[in-house]
Amino acid sequence: MTGNTPPANDTSDAPPANGTSDAPPANGTSDETRSDATRRTFEGIDWERVDAERGLAITRWAAAEALALVGLVALLGYDALVVADGEPTVDVPGVLTWDVTGVQWLFALVLVVGVARVGRLLTRRPRMAARYWRQFRRNRAAVASLWFLLAVFAVGLVGPLVWKNPNELLDFGRAYRKPVVAGGSWTYPLGTDAQGRPLWNLVVYGMRVSMVVGVTATFIAVTLGTVVGSVAAHFGGYVDEVLMRYVDLQQTFPVFVLLLFALYLYGPSLLLVVVLYGAFGWEGIGRLVRSEALQRGEAGYVDAAAAAGASRWWVVRHHVIPNVSGTVITAATLAVPTFVLGEATLAFLGFTDPDVFSWGRTIAAGRGDLATAWWVSTVPGVFLFLTVMAFFFVGDALNDAMDPRRER
Amino acid sequence: MTDRSTEEATADRPLLEVEDLRTYFYTDRGTVRAVDGVSVSVSAGETVCLVGESGAGKSVTAESITRLIDTPPGDISGTIRFKGRDLTEASERELQSVRGDEIAHVFQNPGEALNPVYTAGRQVAEVLKIHTDLGKAARRERAVDLLDRVGLPNPGTVADTYPHELSGGQKQRVCLAIALAGEPDLLVVDEPTTALDVTVQAGILALLADLQSEFGMAILFVTHDLGVVAQVADEVVVLYAGKVMERGPVEKIFHGAGHPYTRALLACLPGRGGARQSIGGEPPSALDPPDGCRFAPRCAYAVGECHRGGHPDLVPVDGASDHVASCLFHQSGFDRSHIEGDPPEGGDALALDDGDTFARSDDNESPEDEP
Repeated sequence: MTGNTPPANDTSDAPPANGTSDAPPANGTSDETRSDATRRTFEGIDWERVDAERGLAITRWAAAEALALVGLVALLGYDALVVADGEPTVDVPGVLTWDVTGVQWLFALVLVVGVARVGRLLTRRPRMAARYWRQFRRNRAAVASLWFLLAVFAVGLVGPLVWKNPNELLDFGRAYRKPVVAGGSWTYPLGTDAQGRPLWNLVVYGMRVSMVVGVTATFIAVTLGTVVGSVAAHFGGYVDEVLMRYVDLQQTFPVFVLLLFALYLYGPSLLLVVVLYGAFGWEGIGRLVRSEALQRGEAGYVDAAAAAGASRWWVVRHHVIPNVSGTVITAATLAVPTFVLGEATLAFLGFTDPDVFSWGRTIAAGRGDLATAWWVSTVPGVFLFLTVMAFFFVGDALNDAMDPRRER
Repeated sequence: MTDRSTEEATADRPLLEVEDLRTYFYTDRGTVRAVDGVSVSVSAGETVCLVGESGAGKSVTAESITRLIDTPPGDISGTIRFKGRDLTEASERELQSVRGDEIAHVFQNPGEALNPVYTAGRQVAEVLKIHTDLGKAARRERAVDLLDRVGLPNPGTVADTYPHELSGGQKQRVCLAIALAGEPDLLVVDEPTTALDVTVQAGILALLADLQSEFGMAILFVTHDLGVVAQVADEVVVLYAGKVMERGPVEKIFHGAGHPYTRALLACLPGRGGARQSIGGEPPSALDPPDGCRFAPRCAYAVGECHRGGHPDLVPVDGASDHVASCLFHQSGFDRSHIEGDPPEGGDALALDDGDTFARSDDNESPEDEP
């Protein structure tokens, strides 16, 4: 990438000339990304305005995040204090009845924080983001996967408000309708299950479950992993030793068994699944962040920052973590499918809330009918397969696009 | 930022006085004496060069001044007096306020010293954020101004450029702008041109000279390149195996070197007439330095006396107190004419006995500097 500035045009290495701002503005480089800016002279730019806009852009995201969080807390307070137990949170008869559950509150929180952070990251370094996107776009499969995931995410988010809860559509008279591909009618494009519930509705509600589990558990895992990893790398010595031995312990500890046990004790709950997966699934990310942070800690710019008078905390906050963020985003993308699959496995085994239409549960329900009605298990199975695979494709492409070693 | 009262009170003293600096590293294999009793002083506005081969302790000396060495495993002792304060006694917090603001560093490899995720302007502004109360807009303006001062064309554009979009020379100029941001009294530059090619190097050296006269800074210049020394130095300190071999004004070092090591170094320099001569043997291990003079095992003039006791003290050469060398033959009771003529054949010259004299020509740490 250093070839961006051809030496022939490089005037900066000559002995310093006074009044360089008088120089023709376009002689600096032929870098395509800069050509736009080089057309203007330095004097022509109103820096106060530029700065004001930048300051505003950052505060805008922070303000939006704070506002949304306050709103969320207010709603949560309303739900907890005003709305009676067992009553739905939102109840407009005929339009919308929605009892927001604990895991949905958590999901909303994660969405608010996640969207605000990613938005801030992208607007703060727009050219860097554009470069990552150009790299990412080269991978066709990943782009297709990204669109698929966005669709799944959007449908999972709003779908349950559009399509009816499958349990309201129980009708044994229309059980085992074939999907369109097997010669069925367009009334039920994906067919129906043993109780006559349309598979499309089951799949849509399953998208919500998978997204909630994947996004929320990953958010918890990434937060814990980043904190533990950077603390271990930063403090070193005994702190590092203790934290990393705990990570070893957690890695060998069967979370799945713990989950089965917890679900047996407290009853099936999606919140429990999400929290336990998040709280015990961060060891890989923690280890990765630690090793990356150690590597970055040896970098010249860390020494340079120390030589410029930065405190150790400043160095970690402003130099180590931003350089690790690409790795974290990639690791997070690759962690999502693990959690999605884990939840589906639990649901397949029957450890699930009867109100939660997990793909795993639908697959399990249809497995007795595989010989006669293959589509009941296959349709949610295909969605699960595609979702997991799409996450892997996207993670892989992100890894290629954001690898800092390629930026040299 | 500069405390005027302390500056006046110490006006007659050097800006920086390093006395008997010892930086040791305690490793599993033993104690590495990277710097072993080095004394250097730098006056305001002066350029002092630390010269020596790889592993002589130049960089460790430079980094010990503001305690940039990790302790442990390192251990720094001696006194480092900067503007009347002893930095060896200073707390980490005090040191942080000195670093970047009063003593700034420029490192060897500009490509590594810049953080790839931030624009050049932001990295200059970062120092201002740490050390000043300037607002965001003012920091930005000052950063662009500094980028202009270090001779970057279109500083406003460069400020929005990421390091990977800049050339090596441009990056080093950005590093200089970062170092200048705190308007330091002392600039420590550690081989600033080693990673750059010769034409770029000349530009950076000229820029340094300009900036020094403009900002009135003192410069502690670490280099292995005697050509650079001749160009920039007022005062030269020759280091070898953690010890000061010779110290004096640049003319006296180049035209009347008192230590055989200095002369051997000068003989390695191309373009000074006569055949180039490499120094036989290798620098001694910092884990287990030899008895007597550190250079004795490689010295063509060494006699039995040179291999006994500790390293010789620094004594005046020609009676001038500003030019000292740590060679036994300058002490009273020794005949200095012994080291003035051609080296004796055979005799005590141990380095010549092992036939290694011409085997190594790559003692200089960057072979690409050879023509």
